[in-house]
Amino acid sequence: MSRPAAVVGIGQTKHKKRRDDVSLPGLVREAAQRALDDADLTWTDIDAVVLGKAPDPFEGVMMPELSLADALGAAGKPIMRVHTAGSVGGSTALVATHLVQTGLHDRVLTVAYEKQAEGNAQWGLAGGRSGGMGAGGIFAPWMRSYMARSGAPEHIGWMVAVKDRRNAAKNPYAHLQMPDLTIEEVKDSPMLWEPIHWHESCPSSDGACALVLTTEDGAKRSPHPPAWVLGTAMRSELGTFPGRDPVRPQAGVECAHEVYDAAGITEPRRQVDIAELYVPFSWYEPMWLEGHDIAGPGDGWRMVESGETQIDGAFPVNPSGGVLSSNPIGASGMLRFAEAALQVRGRAGEHQVPDAKVGLAQAYGGAAQYFAMWVVGATLDAVDQTR
Amino acid sequence: MTPDTAEPDADGPVTMMDYFMQLEYHELLCPVVRRYAEQLLDGKLIGHKCPSCGLVYLPPRGYCPICVVETTDADEIELADHGTVTNYTVVTPVQYYGQEETEPFVRASVQLDGGNATMNLQDLVDVPVDEVRVGMRVAAVWKPKAERDVSEISNRSWGSAEGCIDGWKPTGEPDLPAEQFLGKAAF
Amino acid sequence: MADIAIVGYAQSPSWRQSELTEPQFLFPVISEAIQQAHVERRDIGFTCAGSCDYLSGQTFAFVMNLEAVGAWPPISESHVEMDGAWALYEAWVRLQHGDIDLALVFGSGKSSPGLPSEIYPLQLDPYTLTPLGADPVSLAALQARAMLDKGTITEREMAEIALRSRQHGATNPYAQVKDGRGDVDAMLAEPYVTAPLRRHDLPPISDGASAVVLATADKARAVCDRPVWIRGIDHRIEPHQPGMRDLTESLSTRQAGNHAGVADRPVDVAELSATFSHQEKLLREALGLGDRVEINPSGGALCANPVMAVGLARIAEAARAIRERGATRAVAHATSGQCLQQNLVCVLEGA
Repeated sequence: MSRPAAVVGIGQTKHKKRRDDVSLPGLVREAAQRALDDADLTWTDIDAVVLGKAPDPFEGVMMPELSLADALGAAGKPIMRVHTAGSVGGSTALVATHLVQTGLHDRVLTVAYEKQAEGNAQWGLAGGRSGGMGAGGIFAPWMRSYMARSGAPEHIGWMVAVKDRRNAAKNPYAHLQMPDLTIEEVKDSPMLWEPIHWHESCPSSDGACALVLTTEDGAKRSPHPPAWVLGTAMRSELGTFPGRDPVRPQAGVECAHEVYDAAGITEPRRQVDIAELYVPFSWYEPMWLEGHDIAGPGDGWRMVESGETQIDGAFPVNPSGGVLSSNPIGASGMLRFAEAALQVRGRAGEHQVPDAKVGLAQAYGGAAQYFAMWVVGATLDAVDQTR
Repeated sequence: MTPDTAEPDADGPVTMMDYFMQLEYHELLCPVVRRYAEQLLDGKLIGHKCPSCGLVYLPPRGYCPICVVETTDADEIELADHGTVTNYTVVTPVQYYGQEETEPFVRASVQLDGGNATMNLQDLVDVPVDEVRVGMRVAAVWKPKAERDVSEISNRSWGSAEGCIDGWKPTGEPDLPAEQFLGKAAF
Repeated sequence: MADIAIVGYAQSPSWRQSELTEPQFLFPVISEAIQQAHVERRDIGFTCAGSCDYLSGQTFAFVMNLEAVGAWPPISESHVEMDGAWALYEAWVRLQHGDIDLALVFGSGKSSPGLPSEIYPLQLDPYTLTPLGADPVSLAALQARAMLDKGTITEREMAEIALRSRQHGATNPYAQVKDGRGDVDAMLAEPYVTAPLRRHDLPPISDGASAVVLATADKARAVCDRPVWIRGIDHRIEPHQPGMRDLTESLSTRQAGNHAGVADRPVDVAELSATFSHQEKLLREALGLGDRVEINPSGGALCANPVMAVGLARIAEAARAIRERGATRAVAHATSGQCLQQNLVCVLEGA
């Protein structure tokens, strides 16, 4: 069976380089409590918990659902822990959604987090060895490839970096607050992984995000407008094999088409009002616009250059500031899903896109090989209304 | 709320504790990688060619993940130790625990001549970092046989020839056109 | 909930130390499960894996396992950092949507490269328990001590469980500990490893994998003349701190068993993830399994303990008991965390 599911509670922490003011339980509860409060529910109302995060060595705690069970109010309940690399925040939300859609549970709490300042994420990403490529080293050649393929001018990446940080300045939870960042500053910032400059790269953040998902009945009883889940999709592909195209991964194309089909979307660029895409390095914005067939080949960067993806543009991308402004790795995917839901509920405050009714969220991970996406709507027929 | 970075206060409540852990993992080298390593010591790059689709895996994995068939010594194929840089990045090293790099370093993908295998994350030598180009012709710089050492190779070396090949150096041949490679990505 | 069946299952043998990589020994296990199910790999609508980075000693370790699946063209796939039994649960949920009819599930792990006493303390509360260096054997020993003091088990019973498990293991081609000889008195004369646990009360260190193929009802009947039906499946967790729980009982196993409907009809066979001998009795009681139930005909976790696959292997063995040895109704149990903190119960039936 598949019944409608809705997001009725959203919570996130203030994302920061180090959250030394909270322990691990404190971090997850900050987000979870906010989500419960938003939904006007309590811990005992929750039937099941789904936890997601990136590799455990980032904090040095193995299988943390075990030691966080109490903090998450999970004793006596089912709890699962999802791990799909960078896309984990998204796939965690999808697992939680399935629990409601299939009729198994009526109210599910899902939390994704990373408290990476506890460990050393660079060490973790390097597999503990010297000469690690870092977060961006694997992707930098692919971005170079996109630039060459598409003929994009070099300033596109800088424009995305400025846009996302200016958006973040309207988001009180965002880690980086740089309302005055300029193109020149981005261009002049130190090179990290050529051709990616410092300011074109995501920060390393501590943070958590939580959602409460429920049924149609639950949504009717919730105090604030729900965000209806109109489509979900997950896709994975092999990360390395001879001849693979990691710039436009087939899994990303297929995932997008599956979620569009599920939601009834045939023209994403027109029918989607706002997109939260996992852009940890500036060039991934045009790359995902094309990689998910929102823009045609070579058009992704044109959407950026024309201002279409600005918060007041025709296709706003990452009005929250995105991963470029906050990156608690395990939570970043769920933050995309949460921000899209926040938008269609009309509760995004200063970074609200007016009249956002259909939102798209995407998270990716690994060697651009894991994808999780959802479409949310202000109403169950939000996409139908766009025809 | 306490500040971003908590300073320890000798008389105050304990808010932070350090926990350093060291874990050791000893994994047997699998036969396929053991053989790859032996051949590296011999100055050879030997991969497996899938009997079904013909794709070449270097180092060999013992299977073709596309066709989901096993590959064995019978599928061995010797590869050229010279080729072309198809893509690269220059990494500015972050000083994390265990990091030994201090200066920006290149990691390049080298498509081996013969066209059917690419080695990723390779070092380039004898070329300044800012002169690296896609299309550059390079050849492997093998360590002298007596100095070759495969003790760092593990099941998880991700395509490494470390300990045997110091890196790839420009051959001086004219570059191949970059467009030929950048369009096809990879790595 | 919709009826879902197991239509194929496979395991690797468990080895003390495999020279193969995890993807390499996972590879034939997945292929065998798919083959046994009489389905095409490309018809699988969802795949879910269970494995653990800290066990593997590598961040993102599960990524390499994707190579054993056949993930090209791209597939719909997910992963839990938990035993494959929970991956099976996620797949079972996914199949409830009704839009796809086949799912592949697997669990794998190599316990041989690392030291359990180094790794598992990290699975505990980092503030109060990890710094104590509490290792799994010590914690299990505390639990056994609690049971002994309460009078709910004796050391002799523990040895009997261990011996019986080995005798069963001797008949299981996948088991690692297969020496069924021995007598209880001799076993009781052996020294403690960590009192009150002796060597025979402990699981082996194992490398291994298991895989299961699930199908929705119509598909199951189409591909298989003896589908093994999942009649109920549930999992629950308890508070983390061992001091906050009654270690002589497994409340979450009881809860999961109730939700899964264990008591609805008589059970013939139970495959329990009792990693330590005393846990078998504890779990029996939590699930209300009487004397007529055959426990761990496979030898159980005392004979093969491929962490991350061992719970899924119990489900596979329970399915085997139904499909190959004429059992009508079987219960499979998986566990996670120390002293049975989290438990999953799956009820299977042949008809």
